[in-house]
Amino acid sequence: MLFSRRLTLGLAIAGTMAGALAFPALAGEGPAEIDLFFPVPVDGKLARDMGTLIKEFNETHPDVKATAVYTGSYDDTLIKTRAAIKAGKPPSAVIMSANFLLDMQIENELTNLDALIKADGTTKEQFLGQFFPALQGNAVINRSVYGVPFHNSTPLLYINADKAKEAGLDPTKPPQTWAELTDWAKKLTKREGDKVTQWGIAIPCAYDYCGWMMETLTMSNGGRYYNEEFGGEVYYDTPSMLGALTWWNDLVYKHKVHAPGATPGPAVSTSFISGNAAMMMLSTGSLTYVRDNAKFNYKVAFIPRNVRNAVPIGGASLIIPAGLEADKQKAAWTLIKWMTSPEKSGWWSRATGYFAPNMAAYKTPDMVDFLNKNPDAKTAVEQLDVAKPWFATYKTVPVRKNLEDEVMLVLNGKKQPKEALAAAQKAADETLKPYNAETSLKLP
Amino acid sequence: MSLAEPAALPVATSAAPRLDVLKRLTTRFKASLPAYLLLLPSLLFLVLFTYGAMGRVFVDALYQRATPKAPVRFVGLDNIGAVLADPAFTGAVINNLIYAVGTAVPSIALALLFALALSRTHAVSTALRAALFLPVLIPMVAASALFMFIFLPNVGLLDYYIGRLLPVLPNWLGDPDIALYAIMVITIWKNAGYYMLFFLAGLQAVPEDVMEAAHLDGAGPYMRLRHIILPELKPTFLFVTVIAILNAVTQVDHVFVMTQGGPSNSTNLVLFYIYQQAVEHYDIGKASAATLLTLAALMSLTALSFRTMANREGGA
Repeated sequence: MLFSRRLTLGLAIAGTMAGALAFPALAGEGPAEIDLFFPVPVDGKLARDMGTLIKEFNETHPDVKATAVYTGSYDDTLIKTRAAIKAGKPPSAVIMSANFLLDMQIENELTNLDALIKADGTTKEQFLGQFFPALQGNAVINRSVYGVPFHNSTPLLYINADKAKEAGLDPTKPPQTWAELTDWAKKLTKREGDKVTQWGIAIPCAYDYCGWMMETLTMSNGGRYYNEEFGGEVYYDTPSMLGALTWWNDLVYKHKVHAPGATPGPAVSTSFISGNAAMMMLSTGSLTYVRDNAKFNYKVAFIPRNVRNAVPIGGASLIIPAGLEADKQKAAWTLIKWMTSPEKSGWWSRATGYFAPNMAAYKTPDMVDFLNKNPDAKTAVEQLDVAKPWFATYKTVPVRKNLEDEVMLVLNGKKQPKEALAAAQKAADETLKPYNAETSLKLP
Repeated sequence: MSLAEPAALPVATSAAPRLDVLKRLTTRFKASLPAYLLLLPSLLFLVLFTYGAMGRVFVDALYQRATPKAPVRFVGLDNIGAVLADPAFTGAVINNLIYAVGTAVPSIALALLFALALSRTHAVSTALRAALFLPVLIPMVAASALFMFIFLPNVGLLDYYIGRLLPVLPNWLGDPDIALYAIMVITIWKNAGYYMLFFLAGLQAVPEDVMEAAHLDGAGPYMRLRHIILPELKPTFLFVTVIAILNAVTQVDHVFVMTQGGPSNSTNLVLFYIYQQAVEHYDIGKASAATLLTLAALMSLTALSFRTMANREGGA
């Protein structure tokens, strides 16, 4: 008796569990249900803003039901997207760090958007023409569109205007060349004996930021950092990068106006806000933070040049992963077009501090108002004229780290720029080898 | 098993030997079937989420692709060879060894010190115990975020106070010579209170009569510590050491939050290396191989220490 009762109970439990595992809820008829994976790279408020945006979308589009899924940082978002693709359940749209697109395309993880653009009756040129030209490089691969720019940034020079005046400098005429910047930084550095109580300038160097700053300095020194047309080459051991790294090294060890060691972005912005650093180079994405927290007058300016004015872009694009059903793909495309329209693009820009990639956003009345009230946001947009794509190669992150590890050694006084860059080039070439083996070095 | 015993015994006395074995087995199985059925749900989940994942890692470790577009193919132990030949892995192992020794020894020493000082229960010691245990309750990620501000170069809490004494302010997390030690301080701060609990429990088990006898025999505090308390605490030491070493490999959230293994790989630990291979290099084969190696090392360490523990108890 006891036996059979136990048996029945056991079977019942096992059966229920197996059933629950084997048959997930079946999709019913109704609106196309899609997931949007989104990262929050800066602060927690963005998650709420995203909720507001998606709610509005669902209210105005009864045939689509979009759900925003928060997926952590840019890197986490890539991991989760890849895991979902591997499990056969890709999200319908993802806000993806703009320089991960090439790597994903190489791995066949992206939907080519050309067909969707064509189905709308527009040409690629018309579609891309809505966005700032600087952003197109990271969205187009092999002349096909794979991403739609969503929120973007460039590096800026932030100046503590009060301290500049104190040192007899005119903050309305910010430094435009490396020579002027070096001069400013010297005048803005305060010492008590050997001890520095105020640094002239701070430039961030932690994984991710460090590579971006190296690209910034290299580009303003006339260089390219990587091959924009082909994912198998980087230009680390070149005069333009050597000049960039030597100047950074000189700021630390020759002029002694920049703190030694690698300093992450948040430490740099805190240092600037607290008055410990009089100038800093940081993303436009930090503009809202500085605006809200600086208790002094500040000024933003273009990144000074040595050879030419040029900066890389940063930020994220909307993508559609490969392997989706046609109806989900279509619904995702509707969502993407809506999110990157001038009104929504502008709204998101004002909420986050990123600039709006859609040029028409800056013609909307709300945006004109906003820029009149916050002229510093205008500088970021103006600098876009000289902006260029963000480095993207096969295995972008390891190739970037090959450089960053060496730059960190230089900033810590453990290596000289020349040997560091030679080592970085060697390591990066090794990382890129498998890709070259099946592209540039695969010969008939 | 115990369920089967009473049912099996009466059968064994009456039947022929061959039949007997068979029958005994069937009866045993029948008797223990409900037990297995009741275990089935948890077994199912273990298989799905633990053994299944481990099996998958084992399989993944045997496959690799030569170039990005090439199909994945069976490579046997090549991935393990590639991991062992990777200087980044060797670097991570060395960092992890320094980290394990450098966190286990001080945190165990501190834990013992705290436990000895606070072994008698009264209001003050209870409050102090709670204070020392507090870091355990803070999630590692939150603690790391706090320490990021403490370690901020030039403007952080640490530099604010220590900075007055030093000629040059150290960049705690940005200097490859210091970063690993800065990370270790957090681990010690966080774990000492936890290990203290084990030592407090161990101290309760020190026999009162032996202590009293030693006292009467004129043994001073040091003699009692050296010849009674420490020997009695040996099993606790062993257990805490194993836990501390396991923690040194598995609890590395602060590396993720604070340094991402940098600067220049100086804080790269084995678990973070695996993460890098899987996520940044997108090399599942190498990541799985490194996981297997770590798993093997940890399992043999645990098996070894528990066998020593069992031997000790058997001998006593």
